Amino acid sequence: MGRGEKAIVTGATLILLLAFIGRLYTRGGPYFERPLTIVDHVAPDKHDTRDALVLLPKVRPLLPRGAHVTCFEPGERDTMPDFFAAVGQLPQQTVVSPDSELPQYVIAIRQPFTHTAYRVIAEFPEGRLYCRD
Amino acid sequence: MTDILWVAGILSLIFPGMILWRLPEVRRLDLQARLAIALAGGIVIVTATLYLYNFIHLPWTRFTVGVPLILISVGAGTLARTGGLRARLPTNTILILLFVALTIYGVATARETCGDLIYFWGPKGQRFHYAGSIDTGFLGFRDYYLMHSDYPPLVPLLYAWGSLVAHRFSWWGPLLLMPILLLATAFAFRGLARNGWYAALLTAILGYGFAIGMVGGAADPVLLFFEVIAIAALTFDFEILAAVALAAVAMTKVEGAVFVAIAAFAYLITRRRIAKAILIPLPAAIVLGTWIAFAWRNHLIDSYGLARGSIHLHLLGSVLGDTFRQASYKIAYVPWLATLVPLAMHRNLRRAWLPLIVAAGTLLSTLFYYLHAASPTWWIEASAQRVLLTPLACLVVASASAGGPLHKSGGDR
Repeated sequence: MGRGEKAIVTGATLILLLAFIGRLYTRGGPYFERPLTIVDHVAPDKHDTRDALVLLPKVRPLLPRGAHVTCFEPGERDTMPDFFAAVGQLPQQTVVSPDSELPQYVIAIRQPFTHTAYRVIAEFPEGRLYCRD
Repeated sequence: MTDILWVAGILSLIFPGMILWRLPEVRRLDLQARLAIALAGGIVIVTATLYLYNFIHLPWTRFTVGVPLILISVGAGTLARTGGLRARLPTNTILILLFVALTIYGVATARETCGDLIYFWGPKGQRFHYAGSIDTGFLGFRDYYLMHSDYPPLVPLLYAWGSLVAHRFSWWGPLLLMPILLLATAFAFRGLARNGWYAALLTAILGYGFAIGMVGGAADPVLLFFEVIAIAALTFDFEILAAVALAAVAMTKVEGAVFVAIAAFAYLITRRRIAKAILIPLPAAIVLGTWIAFAWRNHLIDSYGLARGSIHLHLLGSVLGDTFRQASYKIAYVPWLATLVPLAMHRNLRRAWLPLIVAAGTLLSTLFYYLHAASPTWWIEASAQRVLLTPLACLVVASASAGGPLHKSGGDR
């Protein structure tokens, strides 16, 4: 490997090293604390699924095995991120889309769910668990 | 503890994968390269085992899956022969380790997580683990249509194996797998190409690309691991290893099928050996054929059916412009320049033609895919930095081969 070729390859590698450090830095601090969820620092802003990923493990023990449940943020147009987060976080339940017929259990992220047929059975800072009467 | 067990379960695949050390050309590689290739082999063996059990209705348990793996490990019979360790730590190895360390930091502080891990790679692996099979009811459930029901199953099967060992799915496990795969990719390439500096460059491009493209936990690190092994193996004449890696590529992501076809074409053009050009991609074609048939029989066809969609040629300008912008990687095209400039300095490009054809082919196939989207801008923004890593990796192989030794016994540089 020639000297010029090695210089180019090494120089580019070092540039990429600096850019890599910069990329990790700009995703925001804290930089040396153990994150609570796997999406805590993917961007300086809070990730779409962050509250769901915090809430769902708390709600999981309250749900019967095999229960039909959905998860979304009331009033939010894009319901997909919270819904798919629930599919992964509730493997022992059947998670259905909030766009189809509402199931027995509803997990409402952040905002209250005001449907009259449902009552709150658990409340957390990130949202609430509802059950149909 | 679950996370550690999950990752340990994946790492333990190195032992059955040592069966590949029986290949004479692999046996000559340094220990780090052999370990990396053993990991690749182990991943292929365990996912093939789970895949086969799915068809013959054998349950996935630690016993039913673990016993064959142990038997293969014993059969490999190479555990005692661990010579060839690189004791010294050259500068290029230090650079490789720096990128791996940064990647460990990135994933451990949740800075590189891919949304697709949460949305489908993780749920699929987890569900397959609990179901003890490829759960067609889950894949075909109407509400989960965005999960890409027919995506090839290698990654969910690998995640199911980790979950089988740990007794549950680990959300951190797939993230921690990424630096392991980055290191394995670097060591495998360094061994096959006998070039530490280009291995450092490859690690830099992939490490940075993984971070900016946000691929933690997704299939891309697995795909690139097998793609790099496949192209390096084809370029430096490790044909059996290439056949194994290409089969894994085809079963990792949908675009893997195109990669295999282009690689086989490139081999035919550059080596002019028709029989081998058919035999090398044959395992990939067979195993992918079984998967598509399985998906078709269970009404899961989704992505493989997109080939029937119409092409939007009027969007060519915007597709080219958007892709070109994303290709800069927000660092003035350094990854491309770092591979193309050294390539231009070489006069002997004979060996480089194969990876160059694959680089060009995968680039064109990416544009071809984008032209099938009615509004491709979002799609390009979401995926270009990830999918362009494939042609970039091929260009690194091309650059390394252009000035490389012409024989397998050529010295390290």
